[in-house]
Amino acid sequence: MSMNRRALLRFFASSAMTLPFAGLLARSSEAGVPTQTAKRFVVFYFPDGVPEPGPGGGKWHPSGSDTSFTLGENLQPLAPFASRCAFLKGLSMGPTDAGSHPGGAKKLLTGVDGGGGESIDRYLARTVGAGAPYKHLYLGAMAAQNSASGDKFVSYPSAGTTAAPEDNPVQAFARLFGGATPGGGGAPAVDPTQVSVVDTALADLNDLRARLGDAERAKLDLHLEGLRDVERRVKGLGGQALPSCDQSLASLAQVDTGKLYEAAEFPDVLRAQIDVMVQAMACGLTKVGVIQASQHTSELIMSRFAGTPLYKPGFDMRSHQASHYGQSSDPKFADYVAQRTWFVSQFAYLLDQLAQRPEGAGTMLDNSIVLLCTEVGEGNTHTHDQMPFVLAGRAGGSLRTGRVFDFGYRRHSDLLVTIANAMGDGLTSFGQASAGGLPGVLA
Amino acid sequence: MSRRNALTALGLAALFGSSAALGACSKDDDPSARRDRVKNGAEIYSSMCASCHGPQGEGGRAPALRDLKTPEPELVAFVSERMPLGKAGTCTGDCAADVVAYILATFKGPLVCEAPKPVARGLRLLTRREYRNTVADLLGGTGSPSAPCGTTTFVYDPGATPRKSVHVAGSFNGWPQTVAGGGWPLAFGGGKWSLTRALPPGRSTYKLVLDDSQWIADPANPKTEPDGFGGVNSVVDVACSAGGAGGAADPTAAFPPDTRPEGFPFDDHGAGRVITSAHMDELFRAAASLARSADLSKIVRCDVKSGGEACLSELVSGFGARAFRRPLTTAERDRYAKLGRGQGDADKGARAVVQAMLASSSFLYRSEIGELQADGTYRLTPHEIASALSYSLWATTPDEELARAADSGELARPEGVERQARRLLASPRAREVIGVFAEQWLGAENVKSVEKSEQVYPGFDAPLRESMLAETRALAASAFFDTRRGADLFDASYTYVDERLAKHYGLPGVSGADLRKLNYPDGNRAGVLGHGSVLATTGHSDQTSPIRRGLFVRRRLLCQEFPPPPPNAGGVPKVDPGATTRERFAQHTQNPFCKSCHQYIDGVGFGFEAFDGVGRFRASEGGKPVDSVGDMNDVEGFGKGTHARFTSLAELGKTLAESDAAKACLVTQYYRFARGRLEDSACTVDAIKRRYLEKSGDPQEIILGVVLAPDFTVRR
Repeated sequence: MSMNRRALLRFFASSAMTLPFAGLLARSSEAGVPTQTAKRFVVFYFPDGVPEPGPGGGKWHPSGSDTSFTLGENLQPLAPFASRCAFLKGLSMGPTDAGSHPGGAKKLLTGVDGGGGESIDRYLARTVGAGAPYKHLYLGAMAAQNSASGDKFVSYPSAGTTAAPEDNPVQAFARLFGGATPGGGGAPAVDPTQVSVVDTALADLNDLRARLGDAERAKLDLHLEGLRDVERRVKGLGGQALPSCDQSLASLAQVDTGKLYEAAEFPDVLRAQIDVMVQAMACGLTKVGVIQASQHTSELIMSRFAGTPLYKPGFDMRSHQASHYGQSSDPKFADYVAQRTWFVSQFAYLLDQLAQRPEGAGTMLDNSIVLLCTEVGEGNTHTHDQMPFVLAGRAGGSLRTGRVFDFGYRRHSDLLVTIANAMGDGLTSFGQASAGGLPGVLA
Repeated sequence: MSRRNALTALGLAALFGSSAALGACSKDDDPSARRDRVKNGAEIYSSMCASCHGPQGEGGRAPALRDLKTPEPELVAFVSERMPLGKAGTCTGDCAADVVAYILATFKGPLVCEAPKPVARGLRLLTRREYRNTVADLLGGTGSPSAPCGTTTFVYDPGATPRKSVHVAGSFNGWPQTVAGGGWPLAFGGGKWSLTRALPPGRSTYKLVLDDSQWIADPANPKTEPDGFGGVNSVVDVACSAGGAGGAADPTAAFPPDTRPEGFPFDDHGAGRVITSAHMDELFRAAASLARSADLSKIVRCDVKSGGEACLSELVSGFGARAFRRPLTTAERDRYAKLGRGQGDADKGARAVVQAMLASSSFLYRSEIGELQADGTYRLTPHEIASALSYSLWATTPDEELARAADSGELARPEGVERQARRLLASPRAREVIGVFAEQWLGAENVKSVEKSEQVYPGFDAPLRESMLAETRALAASAFFDTRRGADLFDASYTYVDERLAKHYGLPGVSGADLRKLNYPDGNRAGVLGHGSVLATTGHSDQTSPIRRGLFVRRRLLCQEFPPPPPNAGGVPKVDPGATTRERFAQHTQNPFCKSCHQYIDGVGFGFEAFDGVGRFRASEGGKPVDSVGDMNDVEGFGKGTHARFTSLAELGKTLAESDAAKACLVTQYYRFARGRLEDSACTVDAIKRRYLEKSGDPQEIILGVVLAPDFTVRR
């Protein structure tokens, strides 16, 4: 369809045909939803692709059969979680604009060329994530350097519009847990003055919207959404009680907020951000989050990561630079491979943190769907085929894990549909060239 | 199409010369067939080419296409294989032949520009810098409104009770129960426990934990808030930038960064700057924190506690008009008066009003909505004009006189706008903003964060980086306001250095931390080309980069764009003690594919080789003498044939100082900075460029040209 979903909903809202159309949407939206669904969705993004596919899948894609397979070297950190992962082959982002690091970043979560659509994380934040105190959490590690151009970000609040992630875990933590106390829990207190302040701000904003008509509508829609979120929190989330949870976070002490943009600090910052994300989800503060490690065409000097296998003092090896050593014939190929493995190990840490927290009969990981992704396939050639996607978590039991799925050639928009379905949203298409959820992935 | 993709690089056409025979056009000997080609080409051009190359081939994001000298078959082959950029292969065969026929037949002779079309009406979100300046002006004083700035010291007096440990646990470190779990331990000395730490900006809550077990509010801190369990947490507000001691007060420290579109080096590009949920959260908190700590006597003359309804009304109308940069409507006055009255306490009511105004969309956006005119366009109101002038020239809210000029209608008249613009230009605040322009235009601001290898460049520390940035700001201010000679930016034989930077450059006779104007003792450096900020930001962490330096000159100083390198371009050649940088990079200009772009880039960059990756002069590299002869073809634009050779940066500076392309580019860059947008085409800035040239290259004429142009105050 030519309108994006947000525009479509707005159209319905203002249309006399609201009721029949809404009914239609609701019916179609039941299509892909499994009976059990995930409670939360986390994206873990890392930059600059993976090594070239080689015999047997190269360093990334598993080899073997669908159910009996061997993980490539890059995915070895996921070995303990292989039974809780779905490894996806044959997904393509299709053609996109030239210089395809930015083209890939724009399309990765939107499914639309040039970032011309809302990204799946933002969409789900608005739908299934809407009840949480924070609908969306976007955390980064060296992802939003000063004056970073907007095309470095993977999360699109609306078509063509990016927003920077929070790169400071201490600040992110303070924002989320600032008012809470040890032990936490209970419904937040309501300050009547703040309620009337937010009401006043809303009245001003509505005046401005009315004055502007259609001009700047997209901008003011986002503003209104943001102010409504503040309103919900200020008004006490409708009395909704938050789960009691342990709010201490030791890894924050490792972060020096004066050095957030120094490569040597990157591993500590990323770890703290993962911890903040898991903590926020454990405490019921959010259901949808994105962790962005660095940014595409990354200048991150990974050879400065002390205490990791990447450490090489006096030798500067950047992520993007390494990606162009992505052919096995290159003498520095090993550096690139090792960097990718390190990123996967951080994803494994995220999974481990989720797996360590009991929830219901299982763990938080069992009730989550977690996506590992990067903006290009083969880093050296910027292909958008054979994208290195991994899904993890059991999505409440609906994700068929411990398997390799090979789709031959299928557009990754359908992966985004599948994720929405796993979260209980019945999307049937998302972004461009979408043909519905990926077959067989959800039980 | 994005800027970085913008390219014609007609020189590339040479590369496809061999395939040109395939696209031969000799069948067009028939004049009527030729006319059909041109006619058809016109439609193709307007739908596929004009948005980058300009409707008249005047150039814009992509190079100008007027008076092309390249042979037609080469152009046809080039279009077939490379255009439009990013969608190559969508205009081949007749399409390519037709559009080239149109270009060659139509874009001839001097360009005649029409007046620029108005841009869309809309809202411009305050940048962090504008927000910071604005609240400082509104609330009086630039100091931190909150008590502690930078570091916070915790002190606990244990009295007679011995303690094994005392630690701080709070919102900033995750409320750890124990020291081992991440609590910040206080040290015991002189009978007391104490700790000094930098805290994140904004409001934090905490408790002290005695012996890893007993939680108490900080007895030394009177500021508390309920902890929700019948007790209290201690509260500390920090309004400083992260990073601690010495940091200036910054209410925007927790705001998301001002992001820019790809390839656009300036703040405040309209469409992408939006308030998302996380941003709104911070804006709301900042408003609360500023209102909580505001000195109300500085923002309203009456005493809010004793002044009753009259004083509340004065606050609403007076502060409101300054915060919203226009008088309030009746509905707004009623709304805010009601808010103030409803808090049951006059002080609390006044602070609620201040907070709500600072959180209002009428404060957060600069309105450029205008009023509908008879011709269907919208003209900015006098108050909107006041804001546009003030934020463009001073990066802050209108001062009293400007607000008066809006109230009185002076700004409804062009001569009134000019009088006010000249008044603003005469202020030191305008100098500061030109410093910001230079930082962004040249990318010099990145010198603060550019990674440098400790081993290769020891001592390249934060203070030195700051000195470099100050040097660039000072030279720009001098060119715009002291010498009033735009050419100084390229060829100035003087600079501004403090002792630290002078030592770094090897310049004698400068002491102290203040910048001093100094004439270069030799002809090695000139203008911004010799600035450490430029030389360091265009270098790699462990070596120079002739590529980045060449691109710096092409993109930033000449406004000539190049596409990103192809995926298989390969990395930077490895540092090799046996070869100079120039020798290692030579492959670009040897390999024919690389050469198609690098012939424009590397020769320029090689001319910088007498300066290392942090801007120090060097005569040799690894024991070999440095060859810093530079070479620049097509200075004035692709296919123009102008060529310059230079043996020093001073010579390159002189070439640029005299170059029409560099002059036009300075105008274009300032337009982008002041308007926060890309020009639609070369015609957008044509009149301003002519004004600048007619006024002998006085750069203040560029500023006046931008703010006095009709399209500055009209929208569509």
